[in-house]
Amino acid sequence: MSGKRFTLFEAKGRSASAPELPPRGLDRREALAMLSAGMATALSACGKPREQIVPYVEQPEGLTPGLPQRYATALTLGGYGRGVMAIAVDGRPIKIEGSPNHPYSLGSTDAFAEAEILSLYDPARAQAVFKGEEPSSWTALQTALLSRLERLKGRQGAGFTLLTGRIVSPTELRLIAALKMAYPAMAWRRYEPVNDDNARAGARLAFGRPLTVLPKLGQAQAVLCLDADPLGSGPEQIVNGRGFAEARKAGGGFARWYAAEPGWSLTGANADHRLALTPAQVGALARHVAGKLGAPTGGETLPVQAARFADACAADLIAHTGHALVLAGESQSPDIHALAHWMNSRLQAPVSALEPLDLNPDDHLASIAALAADLKTGRVDTLIVLGANPAYDAPLALGLPDAMRKAGFSVHFTAYDNETSAACQWRAPLSHALEGWGDARALDGTASLVQPLIRPLYGTKTVSECVALLAGDAAAASHDITRQTWTDKAGGDLDGFWKRALTDGVIASSAQAATPLPPARLPQMAQAAPPPSLTLCLSPDPSLYDGRYAENAWLQECPKPITSEVWGAAVAISPEDAVRLGLKDADHVRLSAEGRSVIAPVRVTPGQAQGALSAFLGGGRTRAGPIGTGVGQDFGKLRGVGGSRALAVTVEHAPGHGGAPAFQSTRLLEGDARKLSPTIDLATLAGLKSHPLDPVKTPPSMLPAAPVLATDAREPAWGMVIDAAVCIGCNACVVSCQAENNVPVVGPEEIARGRDMHWLRIDAYDVGDPHDPRPAFQPVPCMQCEHAPCEPVCPVEASSHDHEGLNAQVYNRCIGTRFCESNCPYKVRRFNFYGYAEEQAYANLGAESLKAQKNPEVTVRDRGVMEKCTYCVQRISAARKLAEKEDREIGPHEVVTACQSSCPTQAIRFGDLNDPASGLAGLREDPRHYALLGELGTRPRTTYLARLRNPNPALSEAGE
Amino acid sequence: MAQLFRPGADTIARVVLFALAIAPFAGVALAYGLRVSPYSTEQNLVVDQPVPFSHKHHVGDLGIDCRYCHTSVEKAAFASLPPSSTCMTCHSQIWTNAALLAPVRDSFAHHTPIRWNKVHRVADYVYFDHSIHVAKGVPCSTCHGPVHEMPLMRQTKPMTMQWCLDCHRNPGPNLAPRDKEFDPSWTPAQDPLHDARAYIARYHIHPAHLTDCTVCHR
Repeated sequence: MSGKRFTLFEAKGRSASAPELPPRGLDRREALAMLSAGMATALSACGKPREQIVPYVEQPEGLTPGLPQRYATALTLGGYGRGVMAIAVDGRPIKIEGSPNHPYSLGSTDAFAEAEILSLYDPARAQAVFKGEEPSSWTALQTALLSRLERLKGRQGAGFTLLTGRIVSPTELRLIAALKMAYPAMAWRRYEPVNDDNARAGARLAFGRPLTVLPKLGQAQAVLCLDADPLGSGPEQIVNGRGFAEARKAGGGFARWYAAEPGWSLTGANADHRLALTPAQVGALARHVAGKLGAPTGGETLPVQAARFADACAADLIAHTGHALVLAGESQSPDIHALAHWMNSRLQAPVSALEPLDLNPDDHLASIAALAADLKTGRVDTLIVLGANPAYDAPLALGLPDAMRKAGFSVHFTAYDNETSAACQWRAPLSHALEGWGDARALDGTASLVQPLIRPLYGTKTVSECVALLAGDAAAASHDITRQTWTDKAGGDLDGFWKRALTDGVIASSAQAATPLPPARLPQMAQAAPPPSLTLCLSPDPSLYDGRYAENAWLQECPKPITSEVWGAAVAISPEDAVRLGLKDADHVRLSAEGRSVIAPVRVTPGQAQGALSAFLGGGRTRAGPIGTGVGQDFGKLRGVGGSRALAVTVEHAPGHGGAPAFQSTRLLEGDARKLSPTIDLATLAGLKSHPLDPVKTPPSMLPAAPVLATDAREPAWGMVIDAAVCIGCNACVVSCQAENNVPVVGPEEIARGRDMHWLRIDAYDVGDPHDPRPAFQPVPCMQCEHAPCEPVCPVEASSHDHEGLNAQVYNRCIGTRFCESNCPYKVRRFNFYGYAEEQAYANLGAESLKAQKNPEVTVRDRGVMEKCTYCVQRISAARKLAEKEDREIGPHEVVTACQSSCPTQAIRFGDLNDPASGLAGLREDPRHYALLGELGTRPRTTYLARLRNPNPALSEAGE
Repeated sequence: MAQLFRPGADTIARVVLFALAIAPFAGVALAYGLRVSPYSTEQNLVVDQPVPFSHKHHVGDLGIDCRYCHTSVEKAAFASLPPSSTCMTCHSQIWTNAALLAPVRDSFAHHTPIRWNKVHRVADYVYFDHSIHVAKGVPCSTCHGPVHEMPLMRQTKPMTMQWCLDCHRNPGPNLAPRDKEFDPSWTPAQDPLHDARAYIARYHIHPAHLTDCTVCHR
């Protein structure tokens, strides 16, 4: 066998072609070799490995080996913080949960926060200082950097340019201010690809200064979103989701949401009325609505349907004055933002205004364009890039990667070796947020401390330590730097203040005081340019954001809402445009704008505006790492120097066929979507008889007739109720489940074969009609059926019931017949076709460092084993043992599953059906209650509350 | 023509046929026997340790409580082994120059942990928890045997699933009064009034649930 690799399976590299199982047969010699090797192994491999116990030399105070510890800290997204609780076991952070005290977490998380734990252990992280491609050291960098800066000091720092992302952290701002004192002529540039330039410009038009206006969605009764996506990804997603859910409770006032947008966003998917319009038409609609509110606009030529929508919406907004809200999205022009402010002040909308926390006065695009201009004219002597990745995410038209090479000296402080690192002379590794001290401010200014849970895994420095290094203080530790910031504000008792801030997770009364909103001026409406025939609309990727999470395998494999695409995403095109251009699903097209072009697959998407294409930012990274490089397409590079997220493009056929792999095709439940995911109109809810959605009678069963519900009232009967009315489809639960339960990533080839491993999926049904599609989200974990079809078919009883109603899967008993999977009507069982978790992991996911992330309370499943949602049995078990040790019963809200804890809208509720205090039994009596495929007689423990819709009668009659 | 088979051939054929019929059963029985034999379970096997720590001396002779070293046995799944600093509380004062204790002193001085070899091994897919067993009245000696008589630690029970289930199905006879749980010399024989049912009621144990798969596996 010399010269030939003897592998059982083909190496799993990423292939460009459509994935197929490798056609592979064994020849006689190989078969004999394997046979004899197998026999030899069987005879010789009886010894168990000798295990060791390695106790501490000195045990840290407060640590009990094996018990989880929770620390309040904060994670940032686009510079703004969300409070989190990080959970560590034996000093290893393993899970992120929400921080109940933090106003931008409210105890919940989003998919990005959950996935940060994987980034911490990512073996592809930047680990050492490099000069070019040569390994170097912090000392060498410091020497080179400081001698350079010393020379610049003579000229007041002219030629010294610092580029960062958005910075609102008090410590980092303090250090940058100090740096500017030392180098008065230095330039501080700041750029976020997902920025608020148009909102700032709009606020300047309306109020004369760039105020930050934050909506209070919980108080709004009528909301109009003009291509705005308040429920979509971003640091405000959690708080907006909670506001959405609070304002839409059956019984109380029930908010009505309108959305006008070119492509599907989470907001549009959850709105009561959604209209697909191109960005230009959305602007016209905004002017039309403003006209109805008394602005001297109007006379817009709107399509009939849009005019009717606008009239009904305007009437509704006026009827809810005081509780009505208009939100404009970032792809709308500053005019429209200003107009939205004007409408909000007319409607006395529930908003609060703040002076901007972001102290850099420039707009993001202006700032990065100034940097590009400086670089091209040779005015940049020393370029320091701190965390940002402009070589990838700034508009290609600025020519930054090449311009950056012109800097006399450049350093990239970065968490990853990425596109910008390649354009800089030096790169130095940044710490993860869980590795160092710092502080963060939320959108409303609430500050929290960032505390480390682990020493830096590699020789990294935090952002604040790097700025201190620039100021010449290489020895400064992030702890001391951060404490110094708060010394003045602590009022003498720094230690007490510090301890309180760390235990609370927030710094008391640190939120920015609201500014009284000045009256909004009506903007001068610029003459709208004639709209292009095709507009490409770009929005942040729901799982990669602006591309910064491209290296995170959990997020790459987290299905995009609605389309369920993973590992890349296609361009959405309306069916009408597809017919006009002769395109079919998964055809490849070349999108061109001003000479730049991208080849990408298309997805024919009902509900897409005619004349508008939609795509996500964040794909097509060229230097992200083993996971993220080359996944999807970089649509962001089509943007012009203005960086607008709505741009004119031309489309032509390109050779090739095949889109991004998607999930749901293989997990589709059989049945009518409207029955699987029913929707009830709010108006009819009151008149409903008790359980209209439950099946009339349960079919006969061979299983014991008596319910498996516990007979002894002391025993819990676990159940889950998911309120589909408030599920916004944000995917926080999917990633949370993945982190909690050691769910492996399988990679795009395996996904294409229908082999995803997620224990919890969010199905999206189309419950509308052909000309008015409407997605309905439905999270599907294991139903934990009382009459579980998977149990009688298991030949080894690996699938069995316990006394609390859990349908258990015993991995060590499972022999992998997959009978249970075929017999599960809900398709929630997942099979390990390969050793996904370790030995055959995708890309670098089998690396040693990632083992530290695994939850020690959950088995890491091996090849050939069936697995599924367990209702987080490890959490139930922990709560039960704690209760029994204290000789009491388990409290009504003591067991919180991972999906439940993450849910921003609290759509998922879990508890004991036998305990009235848990409220679960009451939810099961709700008229909206139904069991998925209840007519099969499986008696699921996971049940649903139907979606609620609050349509405007004026529009319903007209539209249908 | 000579006879092909000698007179004894019939007997041989019968024995061979019988053996063939028996062989599968014998094979299974042998495999099972091997599996539960001390050879495989390592019952009573003394494992080499970096320091020949004597429980007989520390527990039996000096009377140190189990929890002095195994601090988390009432709180966590893992009973925990003492950090080197615990050893040094006494051994910085007594036996300060003993050659046997050199690894402990080195560990403390150089801040390198001592690597003990595991004696009681439970499969990775079993989520055994010391604390709940202690809370429910299972004394240490039920599983660990007469530790106070062991100069070197060994595993006295087979630690097979069968052995776990024997107790999970009928825990009563293995329970001890609260004040005797950490007494290594305690045996049920010392308690003439030992009433399994009374213990099960007192400790709120539900034996019917103790054989649920999810109790140990997840």
